[in-house]
Amino acid sequence: MRRARAVARTVWLETIRRKDIYVLAILLVALLCALLSADVFGLGATTRYVTDLGLMAAWLFSLVLAVGVGCRQLPEEERRGTVYFLLSKPVTRGELLAGKWMGAWGVVAFATAAFYLLVAGVAAARGGALDPAALAQAWLLHAAALAWVVALGIALSTRMTFGAAAASTAVLLAASFTIVPRVPEIIGGGGADEAALLVLYYLFPHLELFDMRMRLVHEWGTVPWGVGALLVAYGAVLAVLFMALARLGYRRKRFSRGEIG
Amino acid sequence: MTDSAIKMSGLRVRFRDRGREVEALAGVDLEVRAGEVFGFIGPNGAGKTTAMMVLLGFVEPSAGSATVFGEDVRRRIARERIGYLAERAEAYPFLTGRELLDTAGRLFGLRGAALRERVDGLLERLGLAGAADRRIATYSRGMLQRAGLAQALVNDPDLLILDEPTGGMDPLGRVEVRGIIADLRRRGKTVFFSSHELSEIELVCDRIAIISRGAILSGGETRALVARAASLEKYFLELLGADSPGGGGR
Repeated sequence: MRRARAVARTVWLETIRRKDIYVLAILLVALLCALLSADVFGLGATTRYVTDLGLMAAWLFSLVLAVGVGCRQLPEEERRGTVYFLLSKPVTRGELLAGKWMGAWGVVAFATAAFYLLVAGVAAARGGALDPAALAQAWLLHAAALAWVVALGIALSTRMTFGAAAASTAVLLAASFTIVPRVPEIIGGGGADEAALLVLYYLFPHLELFDMRMRLVHEWGTVPWGVGALLVAYGAVLAVLFMALARLGYRRKRFSRGEIG
Repeated sequence: MTDSAIKMSGLRVRFRDRGREVEALAGVDLEVRAGEVFGFIGPNGAGKTTAMMVLLGFVEPSAGSATVFGEDVRRRIARERIGYLAERAEAYPFLTGRELLDTAGRLFGLRGAALRERVDGLLERLGLAGAADRRIATYSRGMLQRAGLAQALVNDPDLLILDEPTGGMDPLGRVEVRGIIADLRRRGKTVFFSSHELSEIELVCDRIAIISRGAILSGGETRALVARAASLEKYFLELLGADSPGGGGR
C-alpha cells in the first residue's frame, strides 16, 4: 500500500503541475460570471438558473478531467519510458494500477469539490445558499461515480492508446448518461430482444444515479443516507470490477521498448 | 546463501513481432558472481537489453530460468536488491531531481530521515545538489543520466544493472561513473554493465560475456580475453566477424 501511495503521489504532482485543473476552474468561474450578468427571459440572473448551469459545468468538467487523467496514466508511462523506472523497483503491477487509480481519483474528486465550492460560493453571493448537507451528499455521490469512471479509463488504457481509451470511455459515459436510462421507456411487449435489452440495462453502469443536481437546484434536500450509502457501494463495486479488468489487461502486458537489444 | 548474483540457465525468450517469430535469447547460460563487475557486450539487437528485462521481471522467459541472489526474477523480493539504470534514463519531467529520488526511495519502502539523508547524499555524490530543486524537464542529457544513476543507487543495491550508463555523459561524467563503479566494487557490490564503449568495459570489468544473436559467444576474465587480441575492441570485432553469417562462425 505504501508503494501504491508513492505512485499516487506522482499522479497528484503531475496533474497539479499540468495545470488542467486551473484551466477548467477558470472556465467555470468565467461561465458563472457570465451567468450572473445574464438576464434570461427577462427573469434576471436567478440563483436557481446559475446553480443549475454551474453544476452542469462542474459535472462536465469533472468527467473531462476523470477521462483525461485516468486514460493518460498508463500509456504516458510507456511512452515516456518511466514504466521501467517504476517496475524495476519492488512494485507489482497490481500496486502500480492501484496507485494510478488512487492518485487519479483523488485529484479528480478534489478538483470536483473545488468546482462545487465555486458554484456554492456564487450561489451564496446571489443570496441563495445551497443546503450544505445536500451539497456534501451530492459531492460524495459524484466522487463515487468518478471512482468507477477513472477505473474504466485505466482498464481501457491497459490495451489502448490514450486517444482510443479516452474516446471509448467518453462514448460509454455518454451512453450511460443519455441512452441507458431511457431503455425501460422503449420496452413494451416483451420478447427476446427486449429481454436482452433489459439485461444490458441492468449490466450497464448507470451514471445518472449519482447525479444530485436537480435535488440541489430545486432544494429537495438529501436522499435518505441509506440510499446514498447503497449508491456509494454501487460505485465502489463498479470501480473494483473495472480495476480487476485492468489487472487482467496489464498482468502480462509487454512493453514496446527494449524487447530486443 | 548463494555466491551467484545472477544466474541464467538455458534462458530463452521468444515472441511474435508483426506476425514474425523472434528469438531474442536462444538458450543463454550465464553466471555473475557476487561482488564482481561484469561487462555484458554485444552488437545492437544481440539480446543484451532483453536479458536485462528478464532480470527485472519485464519479460517472461519462454524457457529456462533466471535468478538474482538465488531468487526467481519473477518474484518481487528479487528486485529489492537491484538498482537499474535504463539505456535512456527517462524520468518524470514534472518532478524535481530531489522529488524523483524521493519517489524512488519510497518505492523501495524508505521513509523519513533515512530517506532524506540518502537523497541528499546521492544528489551531492552525483553532482546534482545545485539542481536538486529544478524540474527534470530543464536538465541536460548528461544531468538526466546522473539523475537516473542516482535513483538506481537509492536503495544501496547489492546488484546494479546498468544499460549504457555513460550514454550522453561528458568525459567528466564518465570518470565519475567509473569512480562510482569502483566504489561499489570496494563495498562488495555486484555491477552488471552493458556498454558499447569497449575501452570503458576494459577499464572497469573483472569479467565479460559477449552476446550475439541471442547466444553467448565468449566470456571470461577481461584481462585474459584482452591478452588474446591486444585490445577488447579487436577481440570483439574478430569474434563478431567470425560469427557474422558470412564469417564461418557459430
